Amino acid sequence: MRVLVVEDETRLANNIAEALRERCGFAVDCAENGTDGAALTEFKHYDLLLLDLMLPGLDGLSIVRQVRRRKDMTPILILTARDQPAQVVELLNAGADDYLAKPFDLGELLARAMALIRRGKGASQPVLTVGRISLNTVEQTVRCAGDLIDLSPTEYRLLEYLIFRPRAIVSARELLEHLYDYNWQHHSNVIEAHISNLRKKLRAVGEETSIVTLRGRGYRLEAPEQQL
Amino acid sequence: MKAAANAIKTHSLSRQLIGGVLLAELLCAALFSAAAIGHEMHGRRRAFDVMLRGRADSLLGAVRDAEDPEDNVTVDPAELVLPAQDLYEVLSPSGRVLGHSPASSADLLAALSTPHPPGYFNFRVGREHYRALRFDGVRVIDREDNGGLRRPVTVLYAAPTWYLWREAVEAVQFYLLAGALLLAVTGIALVWFLRRRLSPLQELAAIAGRVSARSWEFVPPAAVLRTTELAPIALSMEELLKGLQLAFERQRQLTGDAAHELKTSIAVLKSSLQLLSMVPRTAEQYEAGLEGLLLDSARMEELVSRMLTLARLEEAPVELGESCELQSVVRQVAERLRPLAELKQVVLDVSAAEPLVVALPAGDADLLCSSLLVNALQHSSPNGRVSVLVRALDGVTEMRVADQGDGIPASALPHVFERFFRADRSRSRASGGAGLGLSICKAIVERANGTIHIHSAVGTGTEVTVTLPARQNSAQN
Repeated sequence: MRVLVVEDETRLANNIAEALRERCGFAVDCAENGTDGAALTEFKHYDLLLLDLMLPGLDGLSIVRQVRRRKDMTPILILTARDQPAQVVELLNAGADDYLAKPFDLGELLARAMALIRRGKGASQPVLTVGRISLNTVEQTVRCAGDLIDLSPTEYRLLEYLIFRPRAIVSARELLEHLYDYNWQHHSNVIEAHISNLRKKLRAVGEETSIVTLRGRGYRLEAPEQQL
Repeated sequence: MKAAANAIKTHSLSRQLIGGVLLAELLCAALFSAAAIGHEMHGRRRAFDVMLRGRADSLLGAVRDAEDPEDNVTVDPAELVLPAQDLYEVLSPSGRVLGHSPASSADLLAALSTPHPPGYFNFRVGREHYRALRFDGVRVIDREDNGGLRRPVTVLYAAPTWYLWREAVEAVQFYLLAGALLLAVTGIALVWFLRRRLSPLQELAAIAGRVSARSWEFVPPAAVLRTTELAPIALSMEELLKGLQLAFERQRQLTGDAAHELKTSIAVLKSSLQLLSMVPRTAEQYEAGLEGLLLDSARMEELVSRMLTLARLEEAPVELGESCELQSVVRQVAERLRPLAELKQVVLDVSAAEPLVVALPAGDADLLCSSLLVNALQHSSPNGRVSVLVRALDGVTEMRVADQGDGIPASALPHVFERFFRADRSRSRASGGAGLGLSICKAIVERANGTIHIHSAVGTGTEVTVTLPARQNSAQN
């Protein structure tokens, strides 16, 4: 998952980004002003937008309006130091999904961020299952029939991204865009290597669910028909 | 509110006006009635006297020859038609009664004939008042024969005056009744008229009563504005309320901004702490985290201290007699900041030739100079120059601080003195500013009745000009 944090207070932005990376395993980009933030949202790489309300350049509310005008459904969480009810109502009506008043609890911010992402992908609870595999997004663990499978952070993130859309074809490009931030050198063969390791680990525990490579089109998480 | 209303005795303007006018009317009616009654009575008394004279004359006409040997005269009552209650007497020069009113009692006649000089006089018998006329007349009898016979007689004629008094009472009653009626009619008209005319005052009071700290709406009604006496009050109230509302809103905005800054500061501190304690970390990580936290808290401390400085400056004006010598303050501050200038490779140039005393507390002058100089140094690029000029101008002391930095965009220039305003937020935050430096400068200068202006061009640099009222007596102190 990839999150955009638009916050002019750089210390706060770095703290949020660090927490999202450490606890949720997300890729995070930060923008210091509204104009840069709005420009970044246009790529649609993000699974969540975290916006400060008072920003230099373009304020949070304007970014929300821009994003929603493009029919972009990316979940939006607003951070604000001004929490008058009228403003909150205006924000939510403009298309924001949730808001948090500063100073917030970092744990609550992470929980809301994860909840918004899984809601945005059509899941209502933090444990996702395909076949015998269950993936806990809060603990960031993967189990096969109750037994823990030891995955690297990247392997976990790959599986997490795919498990939200079982049987759908996900391109290597999309995986790159949604799993790495801008500081990463993009090489699609990195994805191929991680997919291959993930596949081996699933096979090792005897799981029939597997990741199929469709040459030139992408990857697909496939489970035996009756178990889906 | 209620207690205040109880404590101050209130009185209604319209009630007082109505009362006053009615009192004046009453007085007027009373005086008019009295004058009219006096005039009326005077007229009636004269008419009474004329009537008395007429009746006495006709009595004289009734004097006849008595056809007796002494050739006397007598009064023939058959010829007289006189009111029965009147009394009269006709006397001969010798005092003999020639005739008298037939119905009159002896007491009455005796009272009538008491000696009086000729003319009108009053007397009283029992409870009856009479007015009488005494005159000496000559009755010519048998005018046909050789010029007639001249008989001198004295005529006494009196009539009771009770009906004169009755008429007076009737007149008084009439005037009183008419006066009361008029008073009632004009009183009602007055109440109606005053109520109507004073309605703008009530409207004004009602509208003014609706104004509160939450609702500043005050639009004086047209009727009030058309009233010469009320228009200035209404207009000045409107002006005052607009000013108050503006000040109130500015205050609210400021409180909001301050809260925003503080909450953001706390958010940084809190998130840094929570991030650090989220997972077990190495000693190096904790150390780095603590260092960051120290910086965060130092920034917050700076923010709070600046907010408090600003609040102190705006609390009260400069005390009389507080002053300092600007030249030495500028030189001290420049010396203190020289290391920073060297670090930034900027030439710091102070030109202050003479000692100039200004009406600023020394601490404020120091804060003003250091804020302006630090600002200039921070916005300068290496090999630039920051120049400070202090000089005496016509009755004022001027200080100019100029840099050759990047300047401030024209769009941001009008806002630089506003609190928490940052032309470039991320950079200012990075350099530790909270957007209060220039606000503090402005507050210091304005507290001493001075002015502060800023000129800036992008790419050329910024110049801040401060003027302070000079202290005349002082160059030597």
